[in-house]
Amino acid sequence: MNDPNEKKAKKLFDDSVDRLDAATLSRLNQGRHAALDVLQGSQPVGLWTRWVPATGVAAAALVTVIVMRGPDAVDLPTASVTDFEILLEGESLEMLEDLEFYSWLEASDLEPNGNVG
Amino acid sequence: MEVHGMSACAGVFAVSCTREPSTRACTLQRESQLNKFLADVERRALRIAEIAVRDRDEALDLVQDAMIKLVKNYAGRPGAEWMPLFYRILQNGIRDWHRRQKVRNRVMVWFGRGGSGDDEYDLVAHAPDPAGRTPDEELQTDEAMRRLETAIQALPARQREAFMLRTFEGLDVAGTAVAMGCSDGSVKTHYSRAIHTLRDKLGEHWV
Repeated sequence: MNDPNEKKAKKLFDDSVDRLDAATLSRLNQGRHAALDVLQGSQPVGLWTRWVPATGVAAAALVTVIVMRGPDAVDLPTASVTDFEILLEGESLEMLEDLEFYSWLEASDLEPNGNVG
Repeated sequence: MEVHGMSACAGVFAVSCTREPSTRACTLQRESQLNKFLADVERRALRIAEIAVRDRDEALDLVQDAMIKLVKNYAGRPGAEWMPLFYRILQNGIRDWHRRQKVRNRVMVWFGRGGSGDDEYDLVAHAPDPAGRTPDEELQTDEAMRRLETAIQALPARQREAFMLRTFEGLDVAGTAVAMGCSDGSVKTHYSRAIHTLRDKLGEHWV
């Protein structure tokens, strides 16, 4: 790295690394120790376990969406089954929890007096 | 995952216990070496991930995920291989994250709630400056870093990866190629294009 601009960029980056706040450093430390627990044969806590309950919610939300949209929803213009598969294969299940909420919200909008179900 | 071109950084962390992985002493030694490696790399990795995904919480998850995968799958590999392997896992995680974000936005648009993409994002930690600079100096540095980050974020993904791995992490061409899963020649091309693009965007004097 001979370019002075690259050296300056590196210095700025290092400076931003040095200025990470204590809370972030603590979370990094916890994450590292959780990862190292794998060597002792234990499951890391945090990243994975928190998705376990979400899986059930996601499945329920998916069914709710399909039921609510009805048969017409089969012909989805942009969001395909593949999209849901991509979402489900990762850990990003928060969105599906959001969908359940939105489903509920839409259902409540249909009732003039706000009653649901 | 195949590792090529590791001679440049061989011998950094020699793991001497590969023949007796089950003994407690070996496990402790390996854990100590991994702990040292991860402690050394984690903060830079976090900032690199944060620049790529523009969200600190997501970046923390990505870094922890990469740590777990490295320990789980590659703890027994020579320590010299850990750095490019770690960044390869992290870069794959970042790419998957972007892919899921695209799908997520598509699904939300279909559902009538398109993601605005206007995530609130605080680039600057408001902690006292450990370098003891005046607020004005600190502000100038923050502003320069913000401009640089914005320009980096606008780069195509592969150029961004090459630039950050080479310039910020200091990986050599071979290590960057392992981390990016491409040839040495591709790394040079992506890196060169990134430098030219940044020069075009930020002028001759970037920061």
